Amino acid sequence: MRALIIEDEAAVADDLVRALQAAGFVVDLARDGDNAWFRGSTEDYDVAILDLGLPRLDGLSVLRRWRADNRAFPVIIVSARNDWTEKVAGIEAGADDYLGKPFEIAELVARVRGLVRRAGGRASSSIRMGSLVLDTHRMSATYAGRPVRLSQLEFRFLHYVAHQGGRAVSAGELAEHLYGAEEAGDTNAIEALVVRLRRKLAPQVIETRRGFGYCIAGDSP
Amino acid sequence: MKPRSLRVRLLLSATAAIFVALAFAWFVMTKLFERHIERRVHADLAREGMQLAANLSIGPRGEPRLSREPGDVRFSEPASGMYWQVTTSAGDLRSRSLWDQSLAATQLPRKPEWNTRFPQGPFEEQLLLIEREVKPDRDGPEVLIQVATENKSLQEARREFGAELAMFLVLLWAILSGAAWTQVALGLKPLARIREQVNDLKRSSRERVSDAPAREIEPLVRAINELADAREVDLARARRRAANLAHALKTPLAAIAAQGRRVREAGATDAADGLDRSIAAASAAVDRELARSRAAEIRAAATEVSAAVLPAAESVVGVVERAEFVAKLVFEVEVPPDLFVPVAAEDLLELMGALVENAARYARRRVLIFGDRTAEGRTMSVEDDGPGIEPTQMSAVFERGARLDESGGGHGLGLAIAKDLAEATGAEICLARSKLGGLKVAVLWRN
Repeated sequence: MRALIIEDEAAVADDLVRALQAAGFVVDLARDGDNAWFRGSTEDYDVAILDLGLPRLDGLSVLRRWRADNRAFPVIIVSARNDWTEKVAGIEAGADDYLGKPFEIAELVARVRGLVRRAGGRASSSIRMGSLVLDTHRMSATYAGRPVRLSQLEFRFLHYVAHQGGRAVSAGELAEHLYGAEEAGDTNAIEALVVRLRRKLAPQVIETRRGFGYCIAGDSP
Repeated sequence: MKPRSLRVRLLLSATAAIFVALAFAWFVMTKLFERHIERRVHADLAREGMQLAANLSIGPRGEPRLSREPGDVRFSEPASGMYWQVTTSAGDLRSRSLWDQSLAATQLPRKPEWNTRFPQGPFEEQLLLIEREVKPDRDGPEVLIQVATENKSLQEARREFGAELAMFLVLLWAILSGAAWTQVALGLKPLARIREQVNDLKRSSRERVSDAPAREIEPLVRAINELADAREVDLARARRRAANLAHALKTPLAAIAAQGRRVREAGATDAADGLDRSIAAASAAVDRELARSRAAEIRAAATEVSAAVLPAAESVVGVVERAEFVAKLVFEVEVPPDLFVPVAAEDLLELMGALVENAARYARRRVLIFGDRTAEGRTMSVEDDGPGIEPTQMSAVFERGARLDESGGGHGLGLAIAKDLAEATGAEICLARSKLGGLKVAVLWRN
């Protein structure tokens, strides 16, 4: 596992390097924006930890350039600028997570692991169901050519239903899959999730088959 | 001692000045009246005197003789108050009204004109007496002609006039004092208006005193507004410094946290725990301070703002969904696309962010973001299906945020920040039990 850490504050950088090495990563450190962009563009990483306030080239620009070059590795932003405008800008520039400084190193490591697991666990492939395309690597979707950002839960819902080959999946089964066996009875959240997905994608994407459950419609909108 | 009130001071001086002027007027007018009456009486007496002189002749022994006595009936009525007397060295003639009395001979130098005196007369009377010496015959003796009238009725007239005039002048004094009061009130009115506006200025640093209602007050208004400008600039600078300081503290705090972990690895667990607690407290204080300075900025912002709730909700959900701890949460957004609230877009993001993050931290499965327009106003709420807060505890939650600076991070901080922000935008924020089972935080912008 290779991680790229971009951080100009020496003490924080040291700490990040040590913590990620301890977590089993091979770590590269970049101390300014130019260097970071160059490394990220030329080498393959499993994850990048990106500070925003950097010398030479700011973190957000680095991230935008990577994404423009189709560098798709997960990026977690770690920044002292902790307001929501910055967070939204970071996520919209293509970051996968955002952590404000100062942070708990354990939380950072957990989030990095989560990102790597989600991105690395699957081959970079896509599943097509009618107008809906699931990108299993980026955990995102496009519907009728329009990119849609999905939460982990939403992605897992679509991913699970898409793999049932047209079979209707009951809310209980979905709850068991998504939340674990002991909470299979809790289907309110599943109904809410379906409402949310229909709004994000299109109302007809998820069909309700009365008495059976949900399935993804194969036909074009 | 000088009275503190400008109104009282002006009024006292005005009434005193008016009083002095009117008293002087009373004095002068009664004097003028007196002289006028005396002159009239004097003229009447002189005419009678001239009649006496015209009818006067000298007898063979040098005694005075009158060919005809003055016609006025009062001369023939005893003690009537009107008297005459002509005297020569050889004898005298007197009006009947003198009865057995006589008018005292003058002590004054004899002049060829009417001389006026106020002697004590017969019958206990004060007299107004005129007298003159004439010579009816070139070679004859001199004759003293005296004509007098009692002075009491004159004095009475004078007193009556004085009293009536005084009453009138007192009335005039009251009216003029009333006018002075009105004038003072009118004069001070612009100051009262400015005082109200200065009160507004106290509440908001962006208020200004509007144009001066009178030219004389313009310099004062200008000075107040300049002071307000200076205060606003100072406030903005102080706020910026506080925000910059708070931001600048974050990276060093992260560095100290890094050192803390070294310390922990070196085995000094207690010291590391202490460091962590201090860092958490400092971070909470920094976040709180940033939120406060943002709230202050919102209050200071002058322009009308408006932002759509739905995109803010979706943006915030887009960020929160990234976090590992929300991997099992569904975020339901039920906000009409045309719902706008009177908040700047970035401030709405902060408010929404604080609420949604707080809800996500405690939710089990679901977070509901709801927005609507009601008869009361525009409302926005965030609810979760977490454990919620006991109704008895709800009022304490917002204050708990204030104490978090010491206790270090947690539940109340997000709510305290949200409360600061919401109230800065003129909204009300309240807590309730959610229909999902957890906490519902509702923000209402009244119409």
